[in-house]
Amino acid sequence: MCCLAALPLTRAWALDAPTGPIVLTVTGRLRLPNAGAQAHFDMDMLEHLPQHSFVTRTPWYAMPHKFTGPLLRDVLAACGAQGSNVRAIALNDYRVDLPFEDAQRFDVLLARLLDDKPMAVRDKGPLFIVYPFDSSPELRSTVYYSRSAWQLKSLEVL
Amino acid sequence: MGVALALVVAAVALVQARQFALLKHTVTYQDDYVVLSLYQVEAEYLRLREQWATALHDGDGLDRAALQLRYDIWVSRVGLLHNERTARLMVGNADYAEPLGKMDAFIARADSLLGTSQPLPVNAASLATLKPELDALGAPIHSMTLSASHHVSQQIAERNSAVRRHNQVALALTVFLSLLVLAFGLMAMRQMRLLGERQRALVDLTAHLREARRQAEAASEAKSVFLANMSHEIRTPFHGLLGMLSLLRDAGLNARQVDYLRTATESADHLLTILNDVLDMSLLESGRLTLTEEPVDLRDLLREVESLMRPQAQLKSLALHIDADPGVPEKVRADRTRVKQILFNLVNNAVKFSDRGVVVVDLHRAYADDGKEQLEFVVTDTGIGMDQATLERLFKRFSQGDESRSRRHGGTGLGLEISRSLAQLMGGNVTAKSVPGEGSSFSFRMPLHAIAPAPKAELPVASAADPALAGMASLRVLVAEDHPVNRQYMAALLEGMGHRPFFAGNGLEAVQAIREQRFDIVLMDLHMPLLDGVGATLSIRGLPDGVAATVPIIALTADAFAQTRERCLMAGMNDFLAKPVSPERLSAMLRRLFGGAHGPETAPVGATEPPAAGPTPVVLDRATLNAALRAMPRERLAHLLQSFFEEGPEMVERLRVALRDGQALDLRVNAHAARGAALNFGLSALAQTAQALHEGATHVPAHEIARLIQRFEQLLTASREACEAAGLLEPVTE
Repeated sequence: MCCLAALPLTRAWALDAPTGPIVLTVTGRLRLPNAGAQAHFDMDMLEHLPQHSFVTRTPWYAMPHKFTGPLLRDVLAACGAQGSNVRAIALNDYRVDLPFEDAQRFDVLLARLLDDKPMAVRDKGPLFIVYPFDSSPELRSTVYYSRSAWQLKSLEVL
Repeated sequence: MGVALALVVAAVALVQARQFALLKHTVTYQDDYVVLSLYQVEAEYLRLREQWATALHDGDGLDRAALQLRYDIWVSRVGLLHNERTARLMVGNADYAEPLGKMDAFIARADSLLGTSQPLPVNAASLATLKPELDALGAPIHSMTLSASHHVSQQIAERNSAVRRHNQVALALTVFLSLLVLAFGLMAMRQMRLLGERQRALVDLTAHLREARRQAEAASEAKSVFLANMSHEIRTPFHGLLGMLSLLRDAGLNARQVDYLRTATESADHLLTILNDVLDMSLLESGRLTLTEEPVDLRDLLREVESLMRPQAQLKSLALHIDADPGVPEKVRADRTRVKQILFNLVNNAVKFSDRGVVVVDLHRAYADDGKEQLEFVVTDTGIGMDQATLERLFKRFSQGDESRSRRHGGTGLGLEISRSLAQLMGGNVTAKSVPGEGSSFSFRMPLHAIAPAPKAELPVASAADPALAGMASLRVLVAEDHPVNRQYMAALLEGMGHRPFFAGNGLEAVQAIREQRFDIVLMDLHMPLLDGVGATLSIRGLPDGVAATVPIIALTADAFAQTRERCLMAGMNDFLAKPVSPERLSAMLRRLFGGAHGPETAPVGATEPPAAGPTPVVLDRATLNAALRAMPRERLAHLLQSFFEEGPEMVERLRVALRDGQALDLRVNAHAARGAALNFGLSALAQTAQALHEGATHVPAHEIARLIQRFEQLLTASREACEAAGLLEPVTE
């Protein structure tokens, strides 16, 4: 875990400035902000982080679906985030706190594609925090379902 | 009970399963979560309406993006209500279906403005058109939320009551189960208590039985001890009684009184025998009889048995032969008294149950099944014999051959049982064989614990090569010997040593010769007709002529009994020479008496010992022959052999006659003489056959004897041929 966490830190290049509409704002304890104390991401920046995907069942869809996007830990690493909790805030002001180590322990996706298609706001887009529920029975509980925020707007590193 | 337990366990399992299903149901449906979704639909609706109002108010400068976002969020929320799970919860419920339909209708219309496909320009006018429709959604959405809330509450209440019911059932089951366990526990305790009681009862019973057995044994032993003590106590005054009776005999009684006295003494003797038997039996039974081992001279013991039994045998005109194999050691470790007791019993029985013929006691070495060495006393009689049934009963207490017999012969019936018990105590046994009407044979075996014989005075013979002993004068030797061949043999030996032999054919002739002539020494055969060796010696020692009466007399005999030797010495003989007489022994004997070595001076003593009865005796024993050749000239030996073989057919004829006439004694005497002669010439096989005839004369079946005689005849021929082949029978001119 340490190694995985340390690797992005050692890269330590400054985060690019967004060129398109901002889809994600990261606030809080950041070492590599790109907009004052915050880090702004457009869809292009997220697309250029290493992409991962998995198919999993979820409580929100009847059938298993494929989710694609950067890992939450890569996003957090990209802006040099460091803390104990990450507060996810959705467009509808839904908010939930994720333990920072969730991003390290699990391959938590910041999904931007659902079945290889971008997600509209009405389809829980544009960003959706998805845990790999099918990888571990531990994850198939209300605790992790509630941490899976959709219509994600911003992350606050606490 | 078991069925009840199974039912309870099944019920518990059922309740658990139901509860598990309930919990799973809850987790799956997440009704609470659905309620939250509905609330959020309502909240987002209110925020959209507010944004909508703001946009209308702003007119053409309205914030389209903000409105679009609020609209999209609300649409996504409404979309969630179409989610399969939510739908499942709300299916068939008008409270959901109607507002949902209205919302969908509104969305269809609003999408023409704010939809994702081809949105129309959004302006205040278009927004205003849809505003009433949007507002109209407020009431149904609210009622839907409330309804869902109530629905879920109701479900929760139902679930709770179900859980409560289950809990109650579970509680009841638990109580029942506890009661059952308690019942089982009580039952187990009761069982344990019962078991404990039973065990205690068993222990008590065992102790009781043990005590009873101990008492019974103690009583039985007390009886045995009492019997032993009483027998012993009775014996003491009894001996007194017997002593008095014997004194009375010498008190000058008249014939009639003597007769009474004899009867009384006989009865007393009989009674004493019974008492002794009872005493032995009770000692054996109470295990108090112990054996005391001591060095026992076997031949001495046999002599004792003979001297005691001979009068009885003579009384019934029975011949009594007691014989010991030369292979039997002189002394062994044994309980002298008990061995003698067994032998007395066996011989006494043999004499008692025989009305004619002979009783033979034969002692030889034997081997037990485990290969250990044993002594075997075989007592054979020619008595009435027994059938198989009688044999089987024989060693049982108080049993005798049959009732009539016991009346006729008397006895306690304990004798054989005591004998066998004693023999078994020694580590041996007593067994019996018998043929009705022909006789019986009892075998008494005991372990052989030989004692190395003490070195005898005459054995360390002075070396023949000692020059100080050389040059002994020629002696006049009287040989009293009835067998002509033996006579010739002795003559040859003595002449070979330079002495002058004279012969007497029987005891009377010998005494006569002593009275008439002077001899330096007499070699006296023990078994002679008319007057035997002992009788002749007694006569000679009783002669008035001092010189004649003190002539050295040496006994010659084929039997190796120390007892015989003692008898000879007691009769006044000086020494003893065992047959076959070897030149060395004769020479040593003469040297000892007359102080000079004579005869051949080679060959150590051991070289010419009589050949041991090996498993395959040779026809011609070279060692013995060589010894004989050293003692006499070759021609002499040839002559002797010649006469022996010439006499052969006559010998065989005598044996056959004895067999035909049933004269066992004649058979024995003839076989014995033939054996002696054959041994002297080293004709081992012949000697062995003669010995077998000698030993078997009284108890081996007639056809066996006939076979042995035939073998003897064949061996005579074979021996003669062997001698001829060895060039020992050169024609003699003498």
